[in-house]
Amino acid sequence: MKAIWIIAKKEYQLAMRSVATYIVLTLFLVITGLFFSNVVFKIGLAELRTLFGIMHVIFIFYIPAITMGSIARERQSGTLELLSTLPIKLSSIVWGKILACLMQLKTLIFFTLVFLAIIAIFGEGIDYGAVICGYLGLILAGTAYISIGVFASSIPSNQILAFVLALVISAFFYVWKFVLAFVPMGLMRQVQYLSFDSHLESFLKGVVDTRDILFFLAVTVVFALLAEFNLQSRNMMQER
Amino acid sequence: MININNLSRSFGTLKAVDKISFSIKDSEILGFLGPNGAGKTTTLRMLVGYLQPSSGSIELDGKSIFADPIATSRQIGYLPEQNPLYDDMTVSEALAYLASLRGMKEALFRERREFVVQNCGLADVLHQRIGTLSKGYRQRTGFAQAILHDPRILILDEPTSGLDPNQIMEIRDLIRTLGKEKMVILSSHIMQEVQALCDRVVIINKGRIIVDDLKDNLGNYMDKSAMLYLEVEGEGIDFSEFIVKHPQMEIAVNATDDTHCKLSLNLPADSDVRQELARFVNEKGWLILEMRTEKQSLEQIFHQLTGDSVLTLDEEDPIQETLIEEQP
Repeated sequence: MKAIWIIAKKEYQLAMRSVATYIVLTLFLVITGLFFSNVVFKIGLAELRTLFGIMHVIFIFYIPAITMGSIARERQSGTLELLSTLPIKLSSIVWGKILACLMQLKTLIFFTLVFLAIIAIFGEGIDYGAVICGYLGLILAGTAYISIGVFASSIPSNQILAFVLALVISAFFYVWKFVLAFVPMGLMRQVQYLSFDSHLESFLKGVVDTRDILFFLAVTVVFALLAEFNLQSRNMMQER
Repeated sequence: MININNLSRSFGTLKAVDKISFSIKDSEILGFLGPNGAGKTTTLRMLVGYLQPSSGSIELDGKSIFADPIATSRQIGYLPEQNPLYDDMTVSEALAYLASLRGMKEALFRERREFVVQNCGLADVLHQRIGTLSKGYRQRTGFAQAILHDPRILILDEPTSGLDPNQIMEIRDLIRTLGKEKMVILSSHIMQEVQALCDRVVIINKGRIIVDDLKDNLGNYMDKSAMLYLEVEGEGIDFSEFIVKHPQMEIAVNATDDTHCKLSLNLPADSDVRQELARFVNEKGWLILEMRTEKQSLEQIFHQLTGDSVLTLDEEDPIQETLIEEQP
């Protein structure tokens, strides 16, 4: 447990020292800001729900960008060999990386509170409950995407490849909702279950459903286990 | 005490390590020698638990190291071939990070940090980013990381590769000092390095052990014979008369042009034909440009044992001369 925290703290500190982090962060805020001002000033709608939907889409690009190096870079620089031979569990490495990225994601979300402040000033009667629910949903979905990203990063030693892989898997879960149109009615519920969007939807409406929370947590755990399994099996398959 | 028994590891159809067995006693420096691709790194990786063996066992004090890998890894300090460094961290941050992952107490860490900084000569670069350091300092940082927790067993994979002669001397001195109280396993493809440091030598080639012996006994594997090289100049050079007289010697004649000739012959331990050869050349009226004998060097024994033709002169120990002075 302690090792997870040590790894996460170090990763987060290093990330906050890197210029790239701030570039990506600024880019994210500029893009969401553009959409936000569109909704607020052109349509004249002071609400965050559209913004949350947009943030979800941007997550699919942003999260692979922060997770791509997590394990791939360690593998490339040989430090994975050091980490794997320290008296810590392989799962601590995986969860430490996930936690570090989650901390980065929360930093990013913290800055989007600016939008909330603007609405609080200009709008009337904000439903804070729905806003908190929306943020909770975003963080849960974000954690699941991070887990996918860390898993993708555990496969190649090339960061770009890890990015693409994470993007593909994440996009699969996002795009899944469009498959619904081609599915017979009877299978609708089962197919819909895999779509991130349908689970996030209820959060954005202000409904916290245990099933949705469990879904995101389950995805997170499954991909974390896959990443751990990957580290283990790669050890065995390692070339000379 | 580490016991390795019938250890094998294959990658697909390639047998990287093939049923090797040896043991290492406490406070012994073991040299693990072999040409590139002989299976050294694979064996060391299995020793630290990074790689699962295909078959065979590795026992530390009678217990398999895979039974409790976490307890095992507490006792091992490992410097892999690819130096594991965090380029974005400073030296002191990296040491602190590893100490906390190893669960070292603050007081112990301070004491050990002082020790490694002093012994690895890192005081000047303690607060520099590792990415900006020179190769020598990087290697020393890697070394510091490996010995930080005062491990009982030290496993070093080619610790001096890529360093300049002075740096190699420093690292070797450090290994020698540490080896007095620790079990050290050191891999290298340089014979002299092993000769200078180790108590015992295991030579491995193509995944198999060829030699497992004390360093001092290595001489037994040495061929006592020597090679004689001769270069002559003159008209109508022809050594056939001489060759006929000495049928037991392997003589190779290599005429470069009409007036130049190089000759090499295998000189058995009990005979010396130099006088006779000189007289022979003199009678013919040729001129001797060069005549020298060469005893078989350690490199050649290694060469012979491993049958490896890749090992050439540029792989020789860069500080060979210093060492010869050191050992009267």
